[in-house]
Amino acid sequence: MQVESIKLIETQHITTVIGAALGALLLPLLSFLIIGFIKPRKSDWLSIFFSFVSFLLSVYCFINTWNSEIHHFTWQWLNTGVIKLNAGIKIDNLSSLMLVLVTLITTLVLIYSTEYMKGEKYYNRYFAHLSLFMFSMLGVVLADSLLLIYIFWELVGFSSYLLIGFWFDRDSAAAANKKAFIVNRIGDIAFFVGIMILFTQFRTLDLSALFGTAGKAGLIQQSVVENGMWKFVDVFGQAKTLDSWMLTAAGLCIFAGAVAKSAQFPLHVWLPDAMEGPTSVSSLIHAATMVAAGVYLTARVYPLFNPDALTVIASIGAFTAFMAATIALTQNDLKKVLAYSTISQLGFMIAALGIGAWQAALFHLVTHAFFKCLLFLGAGSVIHQLHHVQHKHHLDFDPQDMRLMGGLRKQMPVTYLVLLVASLSLAGLPLFSGFLSKDLILIGAWSGEKPGSTIVAVLLSVTSALTAFYIFRMIFKVFWAENRLQKTVENIDVSVHESGKSMTIPMVVLAIFSLFAAFSINPLHGTHSWIYEGLIVPLNSFSPKIQYMEFAESWVPIITVVLAVAMILVARFAYYKQKMTFLSKQSFLYKFSYNAWYFDKLYNSVIVKSVVLLANSIRWFDTNIVDGFVNGTASVVQSLSAIVDWIDRNIVDGFVNGIAALAGRLGNLIRGFQTGRVQQYMALGVFGLILIIVLSYIF
Amino acid sequence: MLNGIPLEHFVIVSAVLFSAGLFSVLSRKNAIMILIGIELMINAGILNLVVFGAFDKQKNEGQVFALFAIVLAAAGVAVALAIILNVYRQFKTVEPNQVEEMKY
Amino acid sequence: MTLSILIFLPIAFMILVALLPSSLNHTFKYITLAVSIVQLIIAGFMYTHFNHSLPGVFNEQTFQFVEKHSWINLNLGTLGKLQIQYFLGVDGISIGLLILSAFVMAIAALASWEIKTNEKGYFCLFLLLNAAIMGVFSALDFFLFYIFYELMLLPLYFLIGIWGGARREYASIKFFLYTLLGSVFMLLVIIGLYFSVKDPVTGAHTFDMLSMMNPANYVQGSVFDIHSSTLLFGVSPRLLAFAVLFIAFAIKVPIVPLHTWLPDAHVEAPTPISIILAGVLLKIGGYGIIRICMGIFPDGAIYFSWVIGLIGVVSIIYGAMSALAASDLKRLIAYSSVSHMGFVLLGIASLTVEGISGAMFQMISHGVLSSMLFFLVGVIYNRVHDRDIANFRGLYSQMPTYSVFVFIAFFASLGLPGFSAFIAEAFSLIGAFNSNSIPRWMAVVGAVGILLGAAYFLWTLQRMFFGKTRFKGGEEWQSQLSDVNTREIIALSPMAVVALVLGIMPFLFFDMSNSAMVELVNSTLKSGSLHLETLSKLLN
Repeated sequence: MQVESIKLIETQHITTVIGAALGALLLPLLSFLIIGFIKPRKSDWLSIFFSFVSFLLSVYCFINTWNSEIHHFTWQWLNTGVIKLNAGIKIDNLSSLMLVLVTLITTLVLIYSTEYMKGEKYYNRYFAHLSLFMFSMLGVVLADSLLLIYIFWELVGFSSYLLIGFWFDRDSAAAANKKAFIVNRIGDIAFFVGIMILFTQFRTLDLSALFGTAGKAGLIQQSVVENGMWKFVDVFGQAKTLDSWMLTAAGLCIFAGAVAKSAQFPLHVWLPDAMEGPTSVSSLIHAATMVAAGVYLTARVYPLFNPDALTVIASIGAFTAFMAATIALTQNDLKKVLAYSTISQLGFMIAALGIGAWQAALFHLVTHAFFKCLLFLGAGSVIHQLHHVQHKHHLDFDPQDMRLMGGLRKQMPVTYLVLLVASLSLAGLPLFSGFLSKDLILIGAWSGEKPGSTIVAVLLSVTSALTAFYIFRMIFKVFWAENRLQKTVENIDVSVHESGKSMTIPMVVLAIFSLFAAFSINPLHGTHSWIYEGLIVPLNSFSPKIQYMEFAESWVPIITVVLAVAMILVARFAYYKQKMTFLSKQSFLYKFSYNAWYFDKLYNSVIVKSVVLLANSIRWFDTNIVDGFVNGTASVVQSLSAIVDWIDRNIVDGFVNGIAALAGRLGNLIRGFQTGRVQQYMALGVFGLILIIVLSYIF
Repeated sequence: MLNGIPLEHFVIVSAVLFSAGLFSVLSRKNAIMILIGIELMINAGILNLVVFGAFDKQKNEGQVFALFAIVLAAAGVAVALAIILNVYRQFKTVEPNQVEEMKY
Repeated sequence: MTLSILIFLPIAFMILVALLPSSLNHTFKYITLAVSIVQLIIAGFMYTHFNHSLPGVFNEQTFQFVEKHSWINLNLGTLGKLQIQYFLGVDGISIGLLILSAFVMAIAALASWEIKTNEKGYFCLFLLLNAAIMGVFSALDFFLFYIFYELMLLPLYFLIGIWGGARREYASIKFFLYTLLGSVFMLLVIIGLYFSVKDPVTGAHTFDMLSMMNPANYVQGSVFDIHSSTLLFGVSPRLLAFAVLFIAFAIKVPIVPLHTWLPDAHVEAPTPISIILAGVLLKIGGYGIIRICMGIFPDGAIYFSWVIGLIGVVSIIYGAMSALAASDLKRLIAYSSVSHMGFVLLGIASLTVEGISGAMFQMISHGVLSSMLFFLVGVIYNRVHDRDIANFRGLYSQMPTYSVFVFIAFFASLGLPGFSAFIAEAFSLIGAFNSNSIPRWMAVVGAVGILLGAAYFLWTLQRMFFGKTRFKGGEEWQSQLSDVNTREIIALSPMAVVALVLGIMPFLFFDMSNSAMVELVNSTLKSGSLHLETLSKLLN
């Protein structure tokens, strides 16, 4: 696609396209408010209706802007003289694509939820929160400035918090949503620091101004790094210079926000726990949309990354992809497998961005959103039916445990089929959408010229093979072999039936989008798909654009597919035929994988414990040292005054009282002479006389 | 004079007499005995007066004073006896030790 | 007249309440509420009639609603003339706080429904406190300011000491002594300033703050004259005076380590007084630092900015950590106040328009949110007389509406965008990051405080509101813990709405204060660095 043919429309008035986008953004909010305050009886259909209208408006935007126009609407939000902050909407190819993606998947999930969540005590609240989430997510997509992205970013986290904790009376859910929010907050703080760096230097946070638009270079692209100094011009035209590490720091800080949201190492620990939420929530938020926001953000601020930052990004992505895939191999919880799979796939996207395969990353984001959402919905369908069985017969088992499933393909044919499609797509077999995008990433990785890029490529290829294995392990465990639950309870019929239409139809729609035809006419190569061509790589003055090597382009897909098929066969051999076992459950590697590389334990014992310890010691310090000092001062003053009091009573007053007492004693003494005995008086008189005479005689 | 008895002897006798009176005054428990002691002391004084008068060749003033003192002593004894009588009436005793009203 | 009405209306009604017979006990709260509402209306009137373009700060002409009457004039013979004025006025710095005070007092009046003993005394003191607070924010004569400042202490001492919790006497005495410690030294500086400054018009010594802000009005060779090279204890008296005034106000803010009066006073005080303490009293510290410390001693503001920033950062982290370890909900909120007020200091230390605007906005935002938080604690404390976090569980199922308000208050306080605290903290941090006077790491560490804020608030939510319903008091509590009633909803909703409106439309506040902030920062930087230059020349 030629960049030059795209028209840039800067506006301060609400045009039809902007109006449609605003409508798409605000309708879910309206739905949230109506359900929250008015509490209508048909809240489910209200939110579905609003979301569907929102979807139609998004399609309108998409049709009007894709490859033809970029609309940028700004409105002055805050002007304090020194700080000018604008709020606005930017619709380019990327955001209009995301807009459609988010509204479509949300609408499907909402329809699915009417059956899945039926009978829940807080049924209405579920739809309210989901609408709030949709609003926040659309905000992230449409925002035209980093600050606005940050605002919606946090709101996304907040609605995710609400939805993970939907069953708030479960302790595990209450712990999980807290964990999710706090871990995300860590990334948000870093994101905010990145925003501070950019804002204080460039004095603007507008995406177009910073990163350019429609082929025009933004302030970032115009800046240069020379002799370790980063030279740039801010939005007021003032030239500035900073240490070049600030450029790396700004990029990595913003990327850290994406790390948290997209559950990348080392902040990936919240996502598996987030599976405490309803499965429909997991499918929408923790597979298709919210977690992809990190990738979206990284793609948005792409020009900011210099080669150092990109190396970090690629390493983190590749490592996460590999790590999560190894964890997914051994999980027994159906949703946990999918959660780690999501982390792994997000790692793919992040790694793709890191190696420069910008288009491939976003292409994978879109395809992954469909098939991963489908995987979760399918899993939800299975869990839902097992839950019914559990309820009906008052059994006590975990409906998400794959060890209790098996042989369900006959009972739930539609679910089985759509899950199979999604799994093939995830495993990256030709004719499915996942193949197109994933292969582009792998080709890009193998085409890298930087030293170390081979490591990334090897990690990603291994991950790709592991992916095929773990997802088919799931398929075989759940749908093939015999029903293992039946074995534990022999006298009860635990057979399940297919889910209702409100659940199957959205799944089928998603399954269609998991096929190649939705994206490309050529089922074997993705570079000619309309999405790939429509996503225009932003200019990056700090690192060169990736060039696919022909050698990689021809060999990588073949090897990948062969590996994937081999892995599927191995999985079939091991879990359907059950003729093969790998690691014993006691072996270290199995435990290491099963316990998710012990990250939770590590974080708990190192970070959480030390923070709590620090908090407690500060409390101790506060009550004993700071307050102790205050109270100590008080008691010192008190004892001082006690001493003064003693002195006052005994010495100062004692002196006065002493004189009085002396007079009294003297009086008492003299009173003794006054006996009233005449003879004694006389004797004394005589004695006195004699004394006087004697004395006068002596002196 | 006075058969050559020197003045000192009279004074000594008088002093002994006075001392005996004083002792009686201080040590006796009975008011009458105290009174008697007082009388002894007065008489010691009168004796002195008489003796000094005898040695006074011109005027015999000592004798005059002696007579005067005797009269006064007699009057004093009368008063004292009256007081003792009244004290006895009041306190049913003549022992001054038991009459301690004076200290108040 | 507007400001006088604002100040003396409560006093008039205090006299009325004092004169009414005790049999009319139940009417006192309505009288107090009515007074607060009238004040709120007056404040609203002032807001609409406030001219945004006039900066105020240093120039009497650009102050608004000015009232200036000579009050005490004494001819002291050779010592000159004593001149104390009744001088009131508002500008962009004080108007926001004045409106906030009126708002918080109305909420506190609504919260006073819980007072059941000796209503007459309580409401008299309450109204007196109200008058003193209004006076503090509008006084422009230092002497008058000091009178109002001290006048606040008296009712507070009794309000905490009589109507407070179990350790009320300890708390009230601690509070009183702490504040008095600061204000005694402040008095010394006031006297020093009085002898250094002459009114340019009358030539008499004056307590006029605005005269004190102009270096031309200083008597040559006086203690605080910038050209005087006298030293007090080996330091410049101006810097010393700044430090003394700063400590006096910082005790109110409060700062670590002079903060320990706050948890005790907040915890022991009855709910409405906690609301006033957190909502208004703490702001007087910040207001004093901005208006008086910075205004009169700009050199000190620059000289000590590093220290102030450090204190701010330490307060943020320390307060958050203490809140994390608190087991009493009210104590947790009290410590969260310490943490949040740290942002005020950080913003002030930055000496940037963003930073100080952020600091001001944080004061407004925290005023509303902490009032809401304390009100919310009061709700459960009133019902079961307990507020230990460990004694509650699953409150959400028991009190859904109440929990929604708690959600709003908690998330607003932890800086969720859309609520006022986010804007405030973001501006303070951006200001601190952009500052030339304090290092960048302070802003970064301050940002970590936001993370800790999320940790302690969410942990509390998890422990108290989620999970299966279980109370220490069992069935008895279950029957007592009824959801919020109409009066409580009426009190809580405006706070939630204000926090939200300010978060979405922060320009409502920034427009009002902006010109004052620009003026303040520019002239502080200019004259402050000038003074410091003069000082260093004198000392060399």
